[in-house]
Amino acid sequence: MNTDQTSDVTPFDCSHSLRLSAVDWIIVGVAMLAILGLAPILWQRCERFEPGDDYRMPYELSSSYWLYSRYSRQACDKRKTLVIGDSVVWGHYVPANQTLSHYLNEFTGRWQFANLGLDGTHPAALEGLLRFYSPKLRGHAVLLHFNPLWMTSPKHDLQTDKEFHFNHPDLVSQFTVPIPCYKAPFAKRARIAIKRTIPFANWIAHLRATYYDSTDIQTWTLRHPYACPLKPLTRGLPDSVGVPEPAGETWVQKGAKKQDVTWVRFDTSLQWKFFRRALDLLQNQGNRVFVLVGPFNEHMLNEADAADYEAIKTQAADWLVKNNIPFSLLRPLPPEHYVDASHPLGEGYALWARRLLEDPVFVRWIR
Amino acid sequence: MLFQTPLFLIFFAVVYSVYLLIKGTRLRLPWLLVSSYVFYAWLSPLYLIPLAYATVVDYFVAGRIEAGSRKRAWLTLSIANNLLVLGYFKYASFFAENVNALLSAMRTPYEIPVPSLLLPAGLSFFLLQSIGYTIDVYRGTTKREKSFLAYATFVSFFPRLLAGPIERANHLLPQLHGAGRVTLRDFTDGLSIFVVGYFKKVALADYLAIYVASVYGSPQQQQSPALLLATFLFAWQIYFDFSGYTDMARGVARMMGIGLMLNFDNPYLAVSMGDFWKRWHISLSSWFRDYVYIPLGGNRKGKFATYRNLFLTMVLSGLWHGAAWTFVLWGAVHALGNFATRELERTPFYVRRLPTIVKQLFVLAMVTFAWIFFRAASIGDAWTIVTRIFTSGLSDPKCPVLVVVLIAAVWIYQYLFESRLRSILEIRIVRIVLMILLLTYLVLTVPAEGQPFIYMQF
Repeated sequence: MNTDQTSDVTPFDCSHSLRLSAVDWIIVGVAMLAILGLAPILWQRCERFEPGDDYRMPYELSSSYWLYSRYSRQACDKRKTLVIGDSVVWGHYVPANQTLSHYLNEFTGRWQFANLGLDGTHPAALEGLLRFYSPKLRGHAVLLHFNPLWMTSPKHDLQTDKEFHFNHPDLVSQFTVPIPCYKAPFAKRARIAIKRTIPFANWIAHLRATYYDSTDIQTWTLRHPYACPLKPLTRGLPDSVGVPEPAGETWVQKGAKKQDVTWVRFDTSLQWKFFRRALDLLQNQGNRVFVLVGPFNEHMLNEADAADYEAIKTQAADWLVKNNIPFSLLRPLPPEHYVDASHPLGEGYALWARRLLEDPVFVRWIR
Repeated sequence: MLFQTPLFLIFFAVVYSVYLLIKGTRLRLPWLLVSSYVFYAWLSPLYLIPLAYATVVDYFVAGRIEAGSRKRAWLTLSIANNLLVLGYFKYASFFAENVNALLSAMRTPYEIPVPSLLLPAGLSFFLLQSIGYTIDVYRGTTKREKSFLAYATFVSFFPRLLAGPIERANHLLPQLHGAGRVTLRDFTDGLSIFVVGYFKKVALADYLAIYVASVYGSPQQQQSPALLLATFLFAWQIYFDFSGYTDMARGVARMMGIGLMLNFDNPYLAVSMGDFWKRWHISLSSWFRDYVYIPLGGNRKGKFATYRNLFLTMVLSGLWHGAAWTFVLWGAVHALGNFATRELERTPFYVRRLPTIVKQLFVLAMVTFAWIFFRAASIGDAWTIVTRIFTSGLSDPKCPVLVVVLIAAVWIYQYLFESRLRSILEIRIVRIVLMILLLTYLVLTVPAEGQPFIYMQF
């Protein structure tokens, strides 16, 4: 216990005090701005990244929007048409050389399509991906995919009032469009909104996702107590060839039965609303857009649900016609070409590409 | 609303902008009061009830004390009232649990209900400040504050509301009454203190907390090296956590042109336990010195009475931290450590022969040992930790090397600061480079999610 009278101590008479004047702070501010601005740029020179013909985002880096942005920029420089969508475009159950973009390239003989699909990007996230992480997209041709899977229940449509974890919360609208099941506190939303505008913050997130087991460096050191925290940075980017879940069997072979689906109404669907916002964004920035709807595995639907789906397709088609947007409403693929409700197998992607190339509207569009 | 969150930054940006506009006007104090109440109500609007109650009662009581009639009775009323509020929110369940344990031990069928009350954050801090004020008015060392607005702002001033420093009326009130001058130097000084505090909390305390929690969460499963390291790291965690909070509080206040008292002064460089308490939580230790230890008789009535007073003061200080026997034991261990170093300081060998660094390490070891009781979830856990430190085998503690490097860096910095080489740290370029390093480390390594301050619970 302090039993003597202590004299008043000035604020900087103790350790841990770094007293800086206004000029010092300006110097620190300039230095920090230089670090924040230059580090991601310099890192691009150090980190080898040469996407090949069938490149797609590595599955484990699906949350590295900085890398997506970097890839998107390169794809815009090299390819004419960008295929954008969720895991159906990305090719969740197939290798990189059996995806839609691959077959479109192969069948046309012109390597003009780039696979810019990102696993898990439902339309609410897709809008954010296009808005914040697709910097050079302006003016390009975009083949934009809409997966009807996101309308198969109020939960898929993000309409439930109960909070649950969904993919890519960092991409969804934080303040402008309310999402009932997204209940992040204000501070978190603000942090996400700010992060999107700061390349350095996205670069840090990329480093964490790529080299530090998707955690911060401090937590990483607790898992690897004696490892040098800088060593993982020498590892290089993972390749994008692997398949996260090899398909193995089709949905029929797996013995999956017909499912009851609670389609949300087309006119109240939140995901469709976000898809429309994504379309608006692309059109406003001068992109030529072609919309792909499906191919949903209609073989899994019972009669009533299939009728509802037909109605949704019709409404979607009407809306696209009304807004003068070229589109392809895909007929279902044969049942043996599906792994689940929406993901085709390699043969399914090939058939999908062939059918598209038989569609005169699409052929005209790609010219 | 925690200092290290974006929400606080937004709050402060608004409060500060308006404050700068109205600082020379009559609106300054009302604005500070409203801001402080909003800041506190953000945690829970219910917290405002005990805050407003204590403010109104002590403002009134101080008036009665100054009026001169039955001064002692009014002072007693004020102290009793504050202790009653503190006891009700903080100690009622502890008291009930212990009474029930006693009744159960006596094999009686009776049991009293255990209340489960929400402890308002920072309650112990503003009540102690309020008690100190009425005692000072009673003693005549402080004049009664006539302005209710100024007094309410003194009690609730938001930078120090949640975890101190426990200010003295004659230090803070004149500043609240002042012209409200804010200089560029105030701003840059405040920013400097705030950033260092932020670094301590977010980069250091929260980092150490993860390792400490993993070890202290299951002490039975841990071996000696992990327990020793976790205890050592907790000593630094709580220091970085609490002094980091204080720095941020002082930084925010300084930016508004208001100086709050120093609360920490390199405590782990103390050469005796008495010295430690002159450096650790200075506002609390000086409060207990002035309002408990000295009124008990201090060191004026012989050795036995001095040690008794010291022991009582330390145990009370332990109990102030939390309603649990572990805190009482922590206070008792500190009292015993204090006796030990006091006696050692009477020997020429300790005073003249023993190198300072050995004394510092000795005190650090004692303080660290005491932290076991502070951090352990129960006395049983504390005992398990102490016994396992000495009896369990050796195994890999799996403590990150980076943690040890950071602590060593801080300790060396502190050591240099108190040595003749301090001038190196005062070189302009060194300070600038250090600040850039701190900020770069923060932006590169720190997780997005922060943790609350340890001392807020008290």
